Amino acid sequence: MSKAIITTKRLSAGYNGNYVLEDISIEIFEHEITVILGVSGCGKTTLLKNLIGLMKPIRGYIEILGREMTNIEEDEYNKLMKNIGVLFQGGALLNSIPLSHNVAIPLEQHTDIPPHLIDRIVRLKLSLVGLGHAYDYLPSQLSGGMRKRAALARAIALDPAILFADEPTAGLDPVTASSLDNLLLSLREQLGMTLVIVTHELSSIRRVADKIIYLDKGRVLFSGKLQSAMDSDIPELQNFFTAQNIT
Amino acid sequence: MSNQTIQPPETLDSDTITHFYDRVRGILRKSSESSELCIDFSNVEYIDSAGVITLEKLRENAAEQGVEVIFRNISPELEKTIQTFSGKIIKSPEKQAKQHPVEYIGESVFKLWFVFRDFMLLLANISYFGVIAFFRPKLRRKGEVIRQANFIGVTAVPIIVLVNFLIGLILTLQVGLQMRPYGAEIFIAQLITFAMIAELGPLLTAIMVAGRSGSSIAAEIGAMHVSEEIDALRSMGIDPVPYLIIPKLFAILISMPLLAAVATFVGIFGGAVIGFINFQIDFNAFYNEATFALRYYEIMTAFVKSIVFATIIIVVASYYGLHVEGGPEGVGRSTTRSVVVAIFLVIVADSILGLLFYL
Repeated sequence: MSKAIITTKRLSAGYNGNYVLEDISIEIFEHEITVILGVSGCGKTTLLKNLIGLMKPIRGYIEILGREMTNIEEDEYNKLMKNIGVLFQGGALLNSIPLSHNVAIPLEQHTDIPPHLIDRIVRLKLSLVGLGHAYDYLPSQLSGGMRKRAALARAIALDPAILFADEPTAGLDPVTASSLDNLLLSLREQLGMTLVIVTHELSSIRRVADKIIYLDKGRVLFSGKLQSAMDSDIPELQNFFTAQNIT
Repeated sequence: MSNQTIQPPETLDSDTITHFYDRVRGILRKSSESSELCIDFSNVEYIDSAGVITLEKLRENAAEQGVEVIFRNISPELEKTIQTFSGKIIKSPEKQAKQHPVEYIGESVFKLWFVFRDFMLLLANISYFGVIAFFRPKLRRKGEVIRQANFIGVTAVPIIVLVNFLIGLILTLQVGLQMRPYGAEIFIAQLITFAMIAELGPLLTAIMVAGRSGSSIAAEIGAMHVSEEIDALRSMGIDPVPYLIIPKLFAILISMPLLAAVATFVGIFGGAVIGFINFQIDFNAFYNEATFALRYYEIMTAFVKSIVFATIIIVVASYYGLHVEGGPEGVGRSTTRSVVVAIFLVIVADSILGLLFYL
């Protein structure tokens, strides 16, 4: 059985003293694709921000790759982030520099690889996401789907052990969304990554999820296989699936 | 023909490849043609995409020197990873050949012409809607003229007062010191009054407003353009010029002459203060002398200049706001350009008007 590489215990988090998440205890296992889902405002993105250290929890415990995140030193955090890739909802590419530079940033900052090898790695990563031709493009010259793929290339620049993706298919057409899901699946296959995906798009969840964690009003309402969730008689889950015509 | 064997580290990833790459390159430099270099993977437990890329690159380097690289004892897992990442790079299209200087000059001239044409079209558009919207208030955003006049005019008063007071003070001091040997200090009152009303008051105000409000207007319209708010207005059948720009035009046309008047007054007052302190000219004497220079002609000059400068600032800021390219960083670029171009055009217009009024 694979081991848990992300663990939270009684995690509570929020903004300005208001709780968005309360007593979240979850385990995410190596090489699995875990989807965090729930209706808008249930705390999905807040959980993601806490997991990647962009927000400090109000209380509770977070462990990622064997390191406790709540009291981590900045140096140690930066080292840990070498093993973690994050795909932000809007891509979060630096707009003033071409894709090649965007993808090269983690390689230049975290390694001493010579520039000509970095260039090759960048070309490989862009090719893996189907953007080999867009090496010199600026982010503003790309469509929404291409921008997300470019951001994915940057997120996997260092072959991270864990990839967090915030709404990777939000706002994309079904074909592009499906191809991005397939890309995530093939990256898991090729790089052996663990994926944590935040989304509420069920078509996407069906394609990629090994396991789902359903959040409702800041608490974990369900954790397990998608089929078990769909068979469950929890009213909130039934409403969620019925609303998207999946039975 | 000589053969060498090299063992990579246990983990061949982004942390270790540089050392390994340098080591193999060192060996390759010393290798003779038609030799073999064997890379023994028996100790290697993990390889990532950076490791595969390095092996690919080393193979190419070796081939250039006529050295054959052989991989030995590769486990099936490593073989799979190498297969996954080998030969996957898709070449980007060749970059366009460098432009000929004549092409570059031609393109620049055309670009400049297009900028001028679009600028004049916007000016015509603003002028047209400026008149139309005056009689049809529905065309412009409700309450926006007051809000903008407050932002462009009222909130700018403190900085305008401070800057012009200091300019008036220093200018009077320096001119007074030059006049003192001739016993002509009393004339500094006329000089500073004339300088402030006909030139420095409107000009300094315009520069301050271009930097403060012009940049803000360009950034606001630019950000709206980037976030498709302008397109949203157009899609609702609302022309962005009367809706967004005309209230700002009215506000700046009201504010600029008033700000210029304030600037002129405090500049002259600054001169009176230093005249009193340093040149023993009392305020009554200064006032009497100053009124000699205070003619209707100069007041009209200052008013016309303020109106022209205000129009330049609003048209330039709107132009650069509406022509933002390249997302949020483009907003920053356009804002900077709008300030630089507006100040430049204000100075050019000031020179032309100065020549027209006084030549």
